[in-house]
Amino acid sequence: MVEGNDNQNFLDDLDSLIQPFKAVASPLQGFLNDLHAKYKPITAGAVADYIPELAKVDPELFGICVVTVDGQVFEVGDTNKLFTIQSASKPFVHGLTLEDCGRDFVLSRVGVEPTGDSFNAIILDEQSGRPYNPMVNAGAIATAGLVKGNNPTEKLNRLLDMFRRYIGRDVYVDMSVYTSERSTGHRNRAIAHLMLNFGMVDDNLEDMLDLYFKQCSVMVTCRDLGIMGATLANNGVNPITNTRALDSEYIKDVLSVMYTCGMYDYSGEWAYRVGLPAKSGVGGGIVAVVPKLLGIAAFSPRLDARGNSIRGVKACEEMSKHFGLHSFDLHDDYSKFLKSLTRSGQLS
Amino acid sequence: MVKVISVHSFRGGTGKSNLTANLAVLTASKGNRVAIVDTDIQSPGIHVIFGMDEQEMQRSLNDYLWERCTITEASYNVTPADVAKAGGSVYLIPSSIKAGEIARILNEGYSVTLLNDGLRNLCQELQLDYLFIDTHPGLNKETLLSVAISDALVIILRPDRQDFQGTAVTLQVARKLDTPKTMLVVNKVLPSYDPQDVKEQVSSKFQVPVAGVFPVCDEMIQLASGGVFSLVHPNHPYTEQLKKVTEQVIT
Repeated sequence: MVEGNDNQNFLDDLDSLIQPFKAVASPLQGFLNDLHAKYKPITAGAVADYIPELAKVDPELFGICVVTVDGQVFEVGDTNKLFTIQSASKPFVHGLTLEDCGRDFVLSRVGVEPTGDSFNAIILDEQSGRPYNPMVNAGAIATAGLVKGNNPTEKLNRLLDMFRRYIGRDVYVDMSVYTSERSTGHRNRAIAHLMLNFGMVDDNLEDMLDLYFKQCSVMVTCRDLGIMGATLANNGVNPITNTRALDSEYIKDVLSVMYTCGMYDYSGEWAYRVGLPAKSGVGGGIVAVVPKLLGIAAFSPRLDARGNSIRGVKACEEMSKHFGLHSFDLHDDYSKFLKSLTRSGQLS
Repeated sequence: MVKVISVHSFRGGTGKSNLTANLAVLTASKGNRVAIVDTDIQSPGIHVIFGMDEQEMQRSLNDYLWERCTITEASYNVTPADVAKAGGSVYLIPSSIKAGEIARILNEGYSVTLLNDGLRNLCQELQLDYLFIDTHPGLNKETLLSVAISDALVIILRPDRQDFQGTAVTLQVARKLDTPKTMLVVNKVLPSYDPQDVKEQVSSKFQVPVAGVFPVCDEMIQLASGGVFSLVHPNHPYTEQLKKVTEQVIT
């Protein structure tokens, strides 16, 4: 028995040693290398500069990372550079509040309806007084207000713990980005006051906004986002650490809101072209999910007018098209993608 | 489509670099464009066989891995005259033989992705038909990457129990990495052994084809890595054997 276990451990060690090299030799890696090389020269768009800290990023950075639900990681380019998660944090905090407060209560405070308006619009649903959805700033601020905890520190720690479960390593808030966000966040403060006026949030506005600014200032890498996407794809369990990050009960809530609202006022066209639940952030990150299969992350700081990473959108779009990953592309059953994972073309 | 061929042995001193040099030169002699990369960064040596000394080596694989130059800028045309006549060419990307540079790469490590990108770029930029990789013995990053991207893996071993055990490990890894083609070469066999017997025993032990069995060879020892054997002794039976192995490796 003991011998058998040792041998099993050895094989696990050997597998984990070999996996990165296997990935490097796979057709998928070749595809990602080509994809990266194809879009690398694009210089259109501009980095977010509403606070000086964001404008400091090197606009040339570009990384793509794909993580499968069995924990294989494929990456190309700048996948280990830290950047602020910004709005890409929103679906994950939404998930946390669903666990904290339950579906009905969260729905009573924040809707699930896409808006054609931009992410920072000062607008609420006239009928209900709720923000339209948790992916626009208004909804995300209200969502931050639902995170459980006896005091701001406990709320922050619960939020960071949630990110740690998704990412599988320690995470931090970038203090200079957070401080800038806080000192220039007048528009977000106005949104919060409007929601207070409608009785949609509690009157501890500064604590709520503070947590929101901190969640946006969490530092992640493109690889982290890929693992976070794969965790959602894997029904809430981080495929590398095997830690549960989100109750499987709420996966469909998070993914359906990402699908309809995740890409700001590009969400409809994104759903049509790429066909995957996704969320972008003005830090240049995008995380997309192919349920039960993989997470895709892209990072490139130059944004289009809507606030989405230009190279990131192109990379996701081409990848979805190439492998038939669109949610409603029903003729292929992902066989093209699965074959690309190993160079022998056989599934392991 | 370029073919990548790795030559590996689990332990040192098997004759790996000499085999790599000869396979590469014999492949180029058929009119092919061939490059050899010395990924044995901890104990480089194949440059010696091509008569390259430390002063000549301006750039090495190390410089590429430190992003000081492109990988093609670290390549040297070492085509022997006879090979050039046959329309082939041989390029060599050596590893640094400077103690300080070996120490630095061991201390700091390097990016496997960068090495992989470099090997791909080299194939394109030099328009190669074949890329031979001379690996470091044992299991390490260079070896795993080489085996992972190889179309063929040649494992060289001596008839020695330690080599047998090590070969089993390398074969296990190669199977996990889906290496399309693996073959063994048995080197330094005592002249009193029957090569055919050795071949049958080794191939049945590992269930992998044995491409060649080489007896201990006085001329090889005398050459002492001072040249490419198959060029120095073109009519030697050892060279005939090398040609047969080359044929099996590249087809």
